[in-house]
Amino acid sequence: MSRYQALRYYIIVRLLLAPLMLWAIATVVFLLLRATPGDPADAILGGRAPESAKQEWRKQLGLDLPLWLQYVNYMGSLLRLDLGKSLTSQGQAVWQVIVDYFPATAELAISSMIVALGVGIGIGILSASRPGTFLDWGGRLFGIVTYSLPMFWVGMILQLIFAVQLGWFPSSGRFSSSLPAPERITGLYTIDSILSGNLAQFFTTLHYLALPSITLGVLLSGIFERIVRVNLKQTLQADYVEAARARGIPERKILFSHALKNALIPVITVLGLTFASLLGGAILTEVTFSWPGLANKLYEAISLRDYPTVQGLLVFFGFIVVGASIVIDILNAYVDPRIRY
Amino acid sequence: MNNSTGCKILIFKNRFSSLAKSLGGMGKFFCLFGLCLFLVISCGKGSQTTVSTTKVASGNGDRITVGTTLRPRTLDPADAYEVQSLVLVYNMSDRLYTYKSGSTELKPQLATALPKVSPDGLTYTIPIRQGVVFHDGTPFNAKAMEFSIQRFLQNGGKPSFLLKDVVDSVKATSEQELTIKLKKPFAAFPALLAFPGVCAVSPQAYELGAGKFQPSKFVGTGPYKLTQYGTDLVRLDVFDKYWGEKPLNQGINWQILSSPANLFNAFRTKAVDVAYISLEPIQIKTLQESAKKGDWQAIAAQGSAVKFMALNRNQKPLDNAAVRQAIAALIDRSIINQRVLYNQAEALYSMVPTTFNVYKPVFKEKYGDGNINQAKQLLTAAGFSQSNPAKIQIWHSSTSPTSASAAQTIKAIADKNMEGILQFEINPVESATFFKDISKGLYPISIFDWYPDFLDPDNYIQPFLECPKGSLANGCEEGASKTQGSFYYNPKVNQLIAQERQEQNPKNRQKIFTEIQAQVAIDVPYIPLWQSKDYVFAQNGLKGVQLDPSQFLIYKTIQK
Repeated sequence: MSRYQALRYYIIVRLLLAPLMLWAIATVVFLLLRATPGDPADAILGGRAPESAKQEWRKQLGLDLPLWLQYVNYMGSLLRLDLGKSLTSQGQAVWQVIVDYFPATAELAISSMIVALGVGIGIGILSASRPGTFLDWGGRLFGIVTYSLPMFWVGMILQLIFAVQLGWFPSSGRFSSSLPAPERITGLYTIDSILSGNLAQFFTTLHYLALPSITLGVLLSGIFERIVRVNLKQTLQADYVEAARARGIPERKILFSHALKNALIPVITVLGLTFASLLGGAILTEVTFSWPGLANKLYEAISLRDYPTVQGLLVFFGFIVVGASIVIDILNAYVDPRIRY
Repeated sequence: MNNSTGCKILIFKNRFSSLAKSLGGMGKFFCLFGLCLFLVISCGKGSQTTVSTTKVASGNGDRITVGTTLRPRTLDPADAYEVQSLVLVYNMSDRLYTYKSGSTELKPQLATALPKVSPDGLTYTIPIRQGVVFHDGTPFNAKAMEFSIQRFLQNGGKPSFLLKDVVDSVKATSEQELTIKLKKPFAAFPALLAFPGVCAVSPQAYELGAGKFQPSKFVGTGPYKLTQYGTDLVRLDVFDKYWGEKPLNQGINWQILSSPANLFNAFRTKAVDVAYISLEPIQIKTLQESAKKGDWQAIAAQGSAVKFMALNRNQKPLDNAAVRQAIAALIDRSIINQRVLYNQAEALYSMVPTTFNVYKPVFKEKYGDGNINQAKQLLTAAGFSQSNPAKIQIWHSSTSPTSASAAQTIKAIADKNMEGILQFEINPVESATFFKDISKGLYPISIFDWYPDFLDPDNYIQPFLECPKGSLANGCEEGASKTQGSFYYNPKVNQLIAQERQEQNPKNRQKIFTEIQAQVAIDVPYIPLWQSKDYVFAQNGLKGVQLDPSQFLIYKTIQK
C-alpha cells in the first residue's frame, strides 16, 4: 500500500471512529451529570418551590422517567441532531444557545491564537538563534513565566493597568453598548463589520478584542515559544545545517529556509489541540473579561444542572476536539513524510 | 549529508518555501504592523464611548447604560422568578397593582382602584383601566388580564405556585372588570398581584399551555419595549404609546458583565452610567468613599432581603430549645455586620424586616446582642460543659461569600467567648446540593438568604413557620418549615398564620404578627441576622436614580 493510500485509509477509519467517540463522550457526560449531587428542580426552581411544583416540573421535562428511558430519548434526539431545549431558559433550543454564544468564543480563540503564534514563534526563533545570550535566557524565562502564570490573575492585572489606569482599552465586554453592534452575518464581529463595510465598527471590535486576546495569546505563547526554541536549537545542530553552513549559506537563510520549517512541525500538533481546548475551555478569560462566550454559558448551565445544555455543549466541544485532532493528523501526515500509518 | 536527508530537505523546501519566505521577508513588516495596529486600536479609544473621560458615558444620547452582573434566564413573566429576570420584566410591564414610591403601600396600576373584597374574603373584584395598548398594538382589557393570569397559572413556570396555591378562578366579568376567586382567604392577595410576573401580556404574542414559554421576547404594556435580547446586552426602547407617565430617558442599555470585579471596573472607567447589583461589600465600600469625594453618586435604599440561620429541631443538640436560645443569645449582629458587610446592612431582630410596621425587635428584647453570660447559663443548665460541649455543624452554600463570612464570624465569637462549651464546625457545600438537602434535614444549622415574592409580612412568616402536618415529638413532616430546614411545628403558630391570612383589618393583623414574632423568639427555629441594604451607583450628572421597595432599579425616572 502506498503512503497516500495508507493515509486515505487512515482518514476514513478516523472519520468512521469519530461518531463512536462522540457517542462515548455523550454517554459519559449523560451519566456523570446524573451522578452529580443536586437535582435540576432544586437548582432551578430553588428551595422555596413546593415539592408538588417540583414534581410537576420534572414530569413536564421528562426528568421523572427511568434513567435508561431518559438515555434512550436523549440518544434518539442526538441522532436527529436535536440537542434538546434548555431547562433554565425554557423554550430555548440548545442549538440556539450555541449559535448565539459560539461566535464570541471562536473570535476570541482565533485572535488569541494569532497572538500566541506570533509572539511564541517570534521569541522562540530569537531565543534559539542566539544561544547562551541574554535573548536566549530571556526567551526561556518568558516561556516558563507565561506557562505558569494563572490566566485570571494576569487578566485582572492587565485590566487594571491598561483599562482602569491608562484607559487604553475597555475593561470588559465584546462591543460598546452605546453603539449598534455589527449586523449579524457570521456572528464574528470582525468579519461582520468588514463585510458590512463599517470600519468604525471594525476598530471598535478590535478595541474590545485586544486586551482579552493579548492576555490569552501571550499566556499561550509560552507553549509555542518552548517548542520552537527546543526544536530549532536541535535542528540548528543537525548535520544538514552544518553542511549548509559549510557551503557558505548565510545564517539568516539557514535559519528561515532550512531549520525553521523542521522546527515548526510539532507546532502544528500543539496548535490544533490548543485551539480545540481554547474553543471549549477559555472560561477564565471569558469570565475575567465579561466575554459573552460559550464557556461562560457552560459554567452557568453546570451550576444550574441544566442537563440538556451541558450535554449539548459538551458534545459540541467534543465534536470540535475530535474534528481538530483528525485535521491535525492529516496535516501532520501531509507535511511530514516520515509519518507512516 | 546522505541522500535521504537531502531528499527530505528538498521536500520540506517545497512545502515550506512560502512560509519561510514570509517569515524571513515579512518578519519586520509583521512587527511593525503589529505595533501600528496596537497603537491604532489603543489610541482609537477617543472615538469610543466606553472609556470616555467625560462625567457620563457620552455618545449615547439620552440612553442610560446600566451595568450589572445579572444575566436574565428568561424574559417570560410566567417563568421569571429571579431578580435578574424580574427587574427587566418589572420595567417593561404593568401589573394590576404596584408599590408607591419608597413604600410598601399598594397603588393601582392597570387597575383603577384597590379591589373590592367580598365579606368572606374569597372574591376580589378589580376595576380595569381603559385606553391601554400592548407593545404589539393589541388593546388591553379585562379579558387580556384574565389571559395573562391564566397563563401564569397554567403554563407551570417557576413562580406559578405563588398563585396556584391561592387562586381558584379568574374571570373577566366585563370589559373593565376582573373577578378573582380564592381557594381560601388571603389578606395579602393584592400584594401578590404586584409581583412582576403577574403582569399583562399580549394574548396575540403568547400561548396558554404547560411549558409554552417565550424566554427571549416580551410584549407587555409597560413604558419600555424590548428591542434587543443579546448575549451580553439587553436594549429597551421607550414605548411611544405608553398610557402612563413617559420615561425621562430615551432607552436603557442593560450591559451584562460576568463578575463584580468587571462591574466595578466598568463603572470606575465610566463605561456604564449606573452600577446595579452585584458588587462585593469591599467594592461598595470603595465606591462609597469615592462618592463622598464627589466622584460619583451613591444611592442606598433599605432592602427587603433577609439573612437568617435555620436551626433544625430534629438534630441533636438542637432538639433542646435551650441550645437554640443559647445560640440566639450568642449572636452579635453588630460584629457580624461590621466584619462581613462593612456595616452595609441593618441588624435584624425578627423574621419580619423593619420595612413593615408590624416589626418587633423580639430577639433584641429577649436575648440582646452577644449576650455571652446568658448563652453560657442556658447551655450549662442544659447539661453542657467543657468536657461535654455542644458540637454543632453550620452549613452554607459555597457560592455565598457573605454566608461563609457570617458562619466564620459566628464560630470565632463562640471560640473566643464560650470556653469550649459551644463548638461550631463550618461546612460549605455546592449550592444545588445545599438547597436540595435542606429539606431532607441533613443540616443542623443552615445559613441562607430570603428574597420576598411580595411585600407583606406574611411572606416572611408563612414560608418559614407553617406546617400543616407534623407533631410536637417529630417536628414538621410536611410543610413550609420542613422546606426551610427548621422542621418547626407549633399548632398555635399554624393557627395564628391562618388568622392573619384571613384578617382584613390591618390593626388586627398587626397584633397577630406581634404574637407570632414573640413565639419565634421563644422557640428559636430561626435566628435573623441582617436585613439587606441595596446600593446603586450613578455617574455624576444623572438624576432620578432610585430603587423600588422590592430592590428593583426604576428605569423610567433616570435622566441625564
